[in-house]
Amino acid sequence: MSLQLGEKHFSSAQPEAAARRIVTFKVGDRTFGIDVGMVREIKGWQATTPLPHAAPHVRGVLNLRGVILAVYDLRTAIGLGATDATATHVIVVVDVEVRPAPDLERDEHGLIEGLVLLDTDIVALLDLAAVIRDGGAEAQIKTSRAA
Amino acid sequence: MDPLAELKQTFFQECEELLGALEQKLQALDEGSTDSEDVNAAFRAIHSIKGGAGAFGCTELVGFAHVFEASLDHLRSGRVAVEDAPFTLFLRCADAVADLVSAARNDEPATERPDLLAALEQVGKEPQAPVAAPPPPAPVAPEPVAPAANNDAPIGIAALGNLLAMAEAKTAAPAAAASDDGWDDEPAAAPAPPSNQPGRDVHLRIAPEQRLFRRVIEPRVVLGSLPADDIVSIRCDLSQVPPLESIDVSDCWMRFDVDLRTELSVEDLHGRFDFSLANEEFEINFLEEAVTEAPQVAEAPAAELEVSSAVAADLSAILAKLGAAPEAANEPDIQPAPAPVAVAAPVVAVEAPAVARAAPRAPAAPDNAARQRQAVSVRVDLDRIDKLMNLVGEIVITQSMLVECVRSLPYDVHAKTAEGMLTLSRQTRELQDHVMAVRAQPVKAVFQRMPRLVRELAQTLGKEVRLVLEGENTEVDKTIIEELADPLTHMIRNSMDHGLETPDDRVEAGKPREGTIKLVAEHRAGRIVISVTDDGRGIGRDRLLAKARSRGLVGADEKLAPEEIDQLIFAAGLSTAEVVSDVSGRGVGMDVVRRNVESLGGRISVDSEPGRGCKFTLALPLTLAVLEGMVIRCGDDRYVIPIASVIETQHLASTPIERLPFGQEVLRWRGEVTPLYRLGDVMGSMGKTNENIVIIAETERGNNVGIAVDEIVGQQQVVVKSLEANYGAVNGASAATILGDGLVALILDIDSMLRLAASGGRNPQSDLKMAG
Repeated sequence: MSLQLGEKHFSSAQPEAAARRIVTFKVGDRTFGIDVGMVREIKGWQATTPLPHAAPHVRGVLNLRGVILAVYDLRTAIGLGATDATATHVIVVVDVEVRPAPDLERDEHGLIEGLVLLDTDIVALLDLAAVIRDGGAEAQIKTSRAA
Repeated sequence: MDPLAELKQTFFQECEELLGALEQKLQALDEGSTDSEDVNAAFRAIHSIKGGAGAFGCTELVGFAHVFEASLDHLRSGRVAVEDAPFTLFLRCADAVADLVSAARNDEPATERPDLLAALEQVGKEPQAPVAAPPPPAPVAPEPVAPAANNDAPIGIAALGNLLAMAEAKTAAPAAAASDDGWDDEPAAAPAPPSNQPGRDVHLRIAPEQRLFRRVIEPRVVLGSLPADDIVSIRCDLSQVPPLESIDVSDCWMRFDVDLRTELSVEDLHGRFDFSLANEEFEINFLEEAVTEAPQVAEAPAAELEVSSAVAADLSAILAKLGAAPEAANEPDIQPAPAPVAVAAPVVAVEAPAVARAAPRAPAAPDNAARQRQAVSVRVDLDRIDKLMNLVGEIVITQSMLVECVRSLPYDVHAKTAEGMLTLSRQTRELQDHVMAVRAQPVKAVFQRMPRLVRELAQTLGKEVRLVLEGENTEVDKTIIEELADPLTHMIRNSMDHGLETPDDRVEAGKPREGTIKLVAEHRAGRIVISVTDDGRGIGRDRLLAKARSRGLVGADEKLAPEEIDQLIFAAGLSTAEVVSDVSGRGVGMDVVRRNVESLGGRISVDSEPGRGCKFTLALPLTLAVLEGMVIRCGDDRYVIPIASVIETQHLASTPIERLPFGQEVLRWRGEVTPLYRLGDVMGSMGKTNENIVIIAETERGNNVGIAVDEIVGQQQVVVKSLEANYGAVNGASAATILGDGLVALILDIDSMLRLAASGGRNPQSDLKMAG
């Protein structure tokens, strides 16, 4: 299990083509979606304890009813810098199996599984395992490109 | 889980206990015990395993156990003298049974052991002089099969096996005794036909207690223990059987009337039921001579389960004081007693057989104590205890959170609340202690695996070894139990391979051929201390030192004290065995042991005396679930340092600090130069740091380091939470905990922290400040 950070702007929707229920949320002005089956809980913002020398997108750890979970900063993972947490930010608790990275060349959309059109929004479906596994690396690539 | 699988699981759990008991008894016998109770207990253990295995269709296991049981029976019956019995073979067979059980448990194909089977078949076949040993002394308190801790679980299992038996007995009761289904082939040796047979007519009334099946006894076993040729008739009395809709298949309601014509005496008959029935459960009447045995309490009333075992114990104790035989229960003034007696008398804890023998007719107090202990113990799933433990951990956290809230209250409210909080703290602590006690297990769980290891190694290495176990009942938290097996295995391997000499070498050195390894556990200073002592050749210091020099671990002209040389055995990549065997000798033994032990917060040391032997001592904390920690602050972050690592704290200002050319800071502490690390730099703490305090801590190797921190927040017991479970290993920290305000704090691991500092190529600050 791990945690994702996003902005509080939720809707649950069912795209017509593939019968998948997804949870959508915004990071900055971009809309992302993840499979609803992965989501265990959505909780208000809570302070985290940073881990020494962790990847940049690892925000830290927190206590969820006695279990220690890592919190990943989705904003950092997609290369937009660290989240400046406010009361409107939330933590999405997800259950993800993180397998070792496949031995493939990843493109810049490595964290995105696919795109869905929802009303007028383009929702990017996130590959959370990839976000957790190498969100930091991705972010670094993007940052260096931006620089 | 479906009910059958659940039962099966319980059966395998029981098997583990039974195997433990079997091995223990066989070991005792092998070491010269001639107590027939040990034989009986071993027999019962294998019998129970066989019974359960039959119910679950583990055919290989049943087959082997049957042959094994049969040869053990030769001992029980006295056909083979205990002194002559091949216990080494029996022990190997016990190992084989253990293998079969684990094969059955994992649904793996079982390995056939024709060699052992053949050897077993030979037991009792050799032309041995019939042993003069009399049949089991008659009036001994009969000992029904009381499989270890069978109070809760095996009902279902017994029921399964016995349902069949019950059906069989109902339909074919008269024939049951003669039928030899290959399961319970009790001696059926009386030669003459019943008609013109000499002897007396005896009427037996067998009224087993309702719980008969739960003792893993079936009517077949009972009737089978009578000489088949002496039986004139058997009638099954089903009048007690309740209506079908209210019947519980695990209750026994059958009564039997058996007519015998036999030459057996009352004592002999008693002896026949020694293993299956309690005195109260059968009645022997000699018809022609009208010699009636003192009337027995005919049956265990159905109400027995409602009688608390405490009452039973009390009453039995009274009986014991009166010196009364069970018959005394018929005396009017103790009339209410029969039920408790029925409960108390038949049960003789497997653990306390000697007592039963010493005071056969009057159950002695220790028996009752054992009985009581048995009665009040329950089998609990470890998961449940873990959940309880977690919950208690949560309460501890909530409670310290409350304590912090209370501090901010106005004084008049505060005083009263604080008092309540104090009580709550104490009670919480107590609760935690008790839950910890529930989790505690005797080290026996690990120790009992060792005899087998030693036996197998002895065979591989061609050495003769006697293993002595002491303090098996020393209790320790289950988290530690799980971690004990590996180091112990390594230590014993090491002693057997490197320590003990071959038998010939030993004789040459003037020692007994057989080496001794002693495994001792004890509590000392809040830790568990386990030592492995052998009487072998001790550590070959010259060889060890030469090897260490050749590997560059010790400088060519460096002088080491003998004790220091001994400690080299824990250095990585050193093995002094001349032949690299598959037992040890790859040089990955003791250094791995040491690393693992130290990562658990324990220590290991060695004492060796050349030519006399070697002693490894392992000291571990009693639990891994909580630890006493010092909470410190550095910048905005708080950390916990295990108190065990802390030697001293002092103000940084009063400590002279020097800076070495490469930037490493050192301080002078008790005349020694000690490296100083600033925690904020090493761990990349956030916020501005202002180190005021230096904590002198000890590393695993016993070196001292200074750690500069901002503030000591306090000292408290913290609940250890895994970081690996949902994230991964964190450099510098061994685990995490949750502090009073609900925030997570890392538990520092000094050694890992130093490694982090040494490899600190990256600037930690920049990484994490991003997230700030």
